[in-house]
Amino acid sequence: MRTTARRAVQVVCVLTTASLLAACGAGKERPSEEGTAVGVTDTTIKVGAHFPLTGPAAPGYSEIPSGHQAFYEYVNDAGGVHGRKIEMVVKDDAYNPTNTSAVTNDMILQDEIFAMVAGLGTPTHRAVVQRLNDDGIPDLFVSSGSLQWGDNPETSPMTFGWQPDYEIEGKVIGQYVAENMPDAKVGLFLQDDDFGEDGEKGARQFLDSQIVDVQKYTPGGSTDFSPQMSSFKSKGVDLVIGFNTPSYTALSQIAAQGVGFKSKWFYSNVGSDPALVGGLLASMTKGKIPAEQGVKLMDGMMTTEYIPGVDAPDDEWVKLWQKVWDSYSKKGSEKLTNYRIYGMSQAYTFVQALQANGKDLTRESIVETIEKEGASFEGPGLAPFRFSEDSHMGISGVSVVEIKNGASEPLTPVLVTDIGDAPIEEDDSAASDAPPSSGIPE
Amino acid sequence: MQQFLDTTLGGLVLGAVYAAFALALCLIWRSTRIVNFAQAAMAMVTTYIALTLINADVPYWVAFVAAIAAGFGLGAVIERVIIRPVEGKAELNAVILTLGLFMVLHGLTAITFGVQHRGFPAPVSTNAIAVGDSSIGITPFGILTIVVVAVVMAGLVVLFRFTDLGLRMRAAAFNGEVSRLLGVRVGRMLTLGWALAAAVGAVAGMLIAGGDLVNPAFMDPFVIYGFIAAVLGGLDSPLGSVIGGLILGLSLSYVTGYIGEHLAPLVALGILMVVLLVRPSGLFAAAAARRV
Repeated sequence: MRTTARRAVQVVCVLTTASLLAACGAGKERPSEEGTAVGVTDTTIKVGAHFPLTGPAAPGYSEIPSGHQAFYEYVNDAGGVHGRKIEMVVKDDAYNPTNTSAVTNDMILQDEIFAMVAGLGTPTHRAVVQRLNDDGIPDLFVSSGSLQWGDNPETSPMTFGWQPDYEIEGKVIGQYVAENMPDAKVGLFLQDDDFGEDGEKGARQFLDSQIVDVQKYTPGGSTDFSPQMSSFKSKGVDLVIGFNTPSYTALSQIAAQGVGFKSKWFYSNVGSDPALVGGLLASMTKGKIPAEQGVKLMDGMMTTEYIPGVDAPDDEWVKLWQKVWDSYSKKGSEKLTNYRIYGMSQAYTFVQALQANGKDLTRESIVETIEKEGASFEGPGLAPFRFSEDSHMGISGVSVVEIKNGASEPLTPVLVTDIGDAPIEEDDSAASDAPPSSGIPE
Repeated sequence: MQQFLDTTLGGLVLGAVYAAFALALCLIWRSTRIVNFAQAAMAMVTTYIALTLINADVPYWVAFVAAIAAGFGLGAVIERVIIRPVEGKAELNAVILTLGLFMVLHGLTAITFGVQHRGFPAPVSTNAIAVGDSSIGITPFGILTIVVVAVVMAGLVVLFRFTDLGLRMRAAAFNGEVSRLLGVRVGRMLTLGWALAAAVGAVAGMLIAGGDLVNPAFMDPFVIYGFIAAVLGGLDSPLGSVIGGLILGLSLSYVTGYIGEHLAPLVALGILMVVLLVRPSGLFAAAAARRV
């Protein structure tokens, strides 16, 4: 017993020393003229990200990093950015914030990343945003529409959002419903965290008097939503607006059928991918029916869109993504999906920022570049970014679409706005941006 | 009124599912006197086996029987290989072992079948049953669930109360030494107890998975809720397990429908605490001749 205890003490000592040494190791920054450039050499840039590669949030989301990696390889093979090749470290946090802290620590201390790019999730990324900002590590293009990445650059100067935030999405949805379905009795189906909260805040600006019921779910909790759907049914809800992730779209549809609740459905962009949800629905309802029939179950649902997806194969951007994916996917058998397109679109923005920054790259300079020039980046986004010194919010608008046969048909032009009571305006100007012929931002 | 009816029906189905799981826990407790925390993971494995068969075009009911058979085999093997060596030692040893088993099975399933969510079909419709113009909040699959659970419960009651085999199983669990002296093959009874419990667990897994999504963690909430249901009814009583399951299912359904989903786990634990304080051996436990 004695010796065991002593050995345990020895082990702890060794481990502590090792981690201290590791921490010191990370301190050898290369001070350049002005600022730090950890993770950058003359020929490489190393970035990192946390994604749920396993666990309940993994379907769909785990495909995003493969889009990033494919696009970076495409750029690297064309010579990289200012002679530097981009290397991306991806770590699995299983959508668990405790893991996110641990893997982020690894990426900062062991991998010595230059920047975090596209770390995914609201509860997960929130666990590390303070750490990244305290250490002065650029935290670019978070894969989440929470407001907190961009609405207050003073507290999080290194963090930038990317996709439209849930509040402006809620506003656009709210206004559309108020104008086009003024008699609808609206039920809100919300993920019980910032995602649902921000969406509700936006929608209530226009729909406060139309909302008759609010039901929530906890991710990772019960998957039986019959009680929630019964409540909608009894309150006479005829339009459900859902701020939920894709698995929960399928589960809410099943539960609604189970209690005989009929309604129109309007899902946030996050939870509406027809291919993914349709596949899940098909496998749950009848067993061996093809996924295309599951996709049909999504017909008539409304959602929003802010980048072109796989249902628009003739779009110039989608052609580019298809070309990149065909040559650079790790496993040739896997198809291009909307999640991979999402990843490539984010990667495009990152490469754009590196190009705009020029050869002298530091952690400080990349943040300054995005603040100064980000609003004029032309990319796949249907609306421009809102980046400035006062706002680090991402894409500024969405268009409302209806799903038909797995494809989306636009119901409105691109509607651009900002958080708070900023007006909603039609603005198709960014929707016509086309990629340069090389496919690499200049 | 409509909502009350729908929520009640939904709660009954949910309760039946908890009851199925509680029955498996009760069975293992009755026949071996340990609480098996790996129950959920074992049922998850058998459900995956069934899903693999269904995806290979095997008819649903064949896969259903295959899952039960797989459960039976898995239970027997685990008892014989893993639990037997700690038999006769402190009861905690076996319980901790089942916790370890829970993690191992989780990991192995994730490696073998992947971690992504997959849809699991139901053998009958999961759409609400229409009554005139409207519909009531229960599905053919929900009714099937209730019927299957009732049949399993009745089978267990008959087994333990009216058959010689059931008596021997109870005796072996209750006092191995004395049973051995009386000619009961105790080792074989324990193996059989585990095998039967795992088979019932496999049924529960199929009922939970039908018309839902499965991933290696899909049974995890049932470790807690099934345990609460079993303790609520008294770990010793199959009828108690079923009633405990129904009470729990109804409570959670009402709380979710009328108050909010976030309070459901809290209410479940609240019920568990009250029962443990007021009737520590459960609502339907026999007189406390033996307390653990």
